[in-house]
Amino acid sequence: MLQVVLFNLTNGLIVGAFYVLMALGLSLIINLSNVVNFAHGNFLAIGGYFAYTLTPYVGFWGALVISPILTALMGVAIEQLMIKHVYMRNHIYSLLLTFGLGFILQDTCRYLWGPSPLPLGIPDSLSSPITPDLFFITWYRVFMVAVVVVAVSGLFAFLKYTRVGIRIRAGTLDLDTVAALGVNVAGLRSMNFAVGSYLAGLAGVLAAGQVGLNPNMGDELIMPSFIAIIVGGVGSLTGTLLGGLLIGVAAAVTTVFWPSASEAVIYVIMALVLLLRPRGLLGEEGMLS
Amino acid sequence: MVTNLGLVSTGRRRLIKAGAAIGGLQLASPFIIKARGETPIKIGWIDPITGSLSLLAVSEVEGAKWTVDQINKKGGILGRPVELLVEDSANDSGTGVQKAHKLIERDNVDVIMGDVNSAIAYAIMGVTAEKGIFHIVPGGHTDPITGADCKWNTFRTCNTTAMDASAVTGELVKKFGKRWFFITPDYAYGKTLQANFVKRLQALGGEFQSDFLPIASSDFSATLIKAKAYKPDVLLNNMGGSAQINCMKQFVQFGMNKDMALGGALFEMEAIRSVPKDAQTGWWTLEWYWNQPDVPEVKAFVDAISPAIGGRKPTARHWMAYVSIHAFRLAAEKAKSLKGIDLAKSLADMELPRDVSLMPGKVYYRGGDHQLMSDIYVGEVHPAEGDPDNLFTTKALVTGEAAAGSVESTGCKMVWPS
Repeated sequence: MLQVVLFNLTNGLIVGAFYVLMALGLSLIINLSNVVNFAHGNFLAIGGYFAYTLTPYVGFWGALVISPILTALMGVAIEQLMIKHVYMRNHIYSLLLTFGLGFILQDTCRYLWGPSPLPLGIPDSLSSPITPDLFFITWYRVFMVAVVVVAVSGLFAFLKYTRVGIRIRAGTLDLDTVAALGVNVAGLRSMNFAVGSYLAGLAGVLAAGQVGLNPNMGDELIMPSFIAIIVGGVGSLTGTLLGGLLIGVAAAVTTVFWPSASEAVIYVIMALVLLLRPRGLLGEEGMLS
Repeated sequence: MVTNLGLVSTGRRRLIKAGAAIGGLQLASPFIIKARGETPIKIGWIDPITGSLSLLAVSEVEGAKWTVDQINKKGGILGRPVELLVEDSANDSGTGVQKAHKLIERDNVDVIMGDVNSAIAYAIMGVTAEKGIFHIVPGGHTDPITGADCKWNTFRTCNTTAMDASAVTGELVKKFGKRWFFITPDYAYGKTLQANFVKRLQALGGEFQSDFLPIASSDFSATLIKAKAYKPDVLLNNMGGSAQINCMKQFVQFGMNKDMALGGALFEMEAIRSVPKDAQTGWWTLEWYWNQPDVPEVKAFVDAISPAIGGRKPTARHWMAYVSIHAFRLAAEKAKSLKGIDLAKSLADMELPRDVSLMPGKVYYRGGDHQLMSDIYVGEVHPAEGDPDNLFTTKALVTGEAAAGSVESTGCKMVWPS
């Protein structure tokens, strides 16, 4: 039993790392633009479908590079056409807009690629377990965690050391002051949306390699992202990191003792955090309101 | 003035004559039949076109559309064209019930068919029973639909979970062993399916461990770790739709296919096509299969429907839709009525002709519980051999009656309206 629990702790960290990648893009967009992007999961699915289409021409590695970029470009186009018009309005507008957008993107996937699940082939070198004993750690999962580590480190470095990143962080705290200092806020938001969509696209390619593609996959993956953000604390990317890992481990360990509650447990954690510490584990006071 | 009066007088006479003529025509039956012929018979179809079972639902809807099209080309039902109204239950019981109300109360459908999701099919039964509307469940497997909660107006085309479990348990024990691990969806279908498997496994002296998981699970790594630790002879993947596919993929990625056999009640063609070759394995049941050389009607059906579904071979889901709609047609033509009670009495115990059943054995909706007694195909799933859809080899054919047991054993006590 101890071995099963330990294996599941490790497994939970792997799954949690993936939640982190999904949630970080969403968190970036919420933090700067106050847009609760319900279509984020569908951006993820689109990223996976782009990879499926590109793989025969550029291979898995080429698709891994190009698909997130295409997703980011699509994200910026949608932001310019639709989302920027609701920035100054009540949250409910952006919520309803992205909620509807999610359905449109899902049906677009169904129309273009069909309703049947599609496989995304991964290199043979990644498809086997690292050892017979650690059968649940495949090289693909190791690679996935490595990509998450690189992406998260890169994102944190980008936000800390680049001019645009510093402006995004400043805008998260006080957008009016940033605007008063002459920063092009509209451009900043577009750039931020592009980075968020890029991360969604990257997560989509990685998810497709693991579980394949179907038009509903965004719906299945979006809720853990929201919960990771709420548990970690709205406004805190480090909190999102912590929240993603926490719910990943919680779901995996719960499966050992009470499998049917493995999904519910992450909602219980969210409810407890909201009751006991409404700003989230590392969130700042007032961000949730 | 005289002219005017004359015109008025002529008009009045014409009006009276026309009225009499129309009245006379109303009494003449050929006119009535012709007028009815212009009013379509409406079939309300509810399935989860979105959600984790959409893969199966889409096949059912494809089959339904094609079947209605074929029936209309041959003159419809009772001389009237047939109209198919499809609604998406979105894999949610509340939505399914809402759509049933809409189809019955607003669209005035003559029959309801649905749902792939057992829980939704079960919920819709409450609506159709209350309204007295004829209802066929093409593909929702949970037992109470034609068991303890059977209704006079509801018939089911797919098997019960008890039938599927009964058909394959013996083969799995004989070939692989008695120590099993179940991965089962935590809802009506999964619960009854596992209960039926466990009953039969324990009767053969077997032991088991199981995980009930949320129906739309996408990651199975945690439960597969438990399964491996249990060291079972057979892993039974009872999940459905995209969840079953994801589970199979991870099972193969973890190399567990080298340690244990795979099997279960249903590994539907839609799912078999979607998994890697390594996961196209195990002993399962199919409720219908396209490759039946001994039944010439099957080949005719396959050849006819394939061009309409992208050149692929039809699956059991296409067959379920085909049989359900033709059963409704046969019941209506026998009863010469569309009233729920007449249709139900007409269909009970009616043997389906071979060009409808598309099976070698005697196939009929059993009067005692309204469950279709159809043949069950037990066999082995394998990577494609020759034809890309040749993914299954039938090893045994079990009759519906042998798998279902008696009506009494299902718990159904049919109550007809007085």
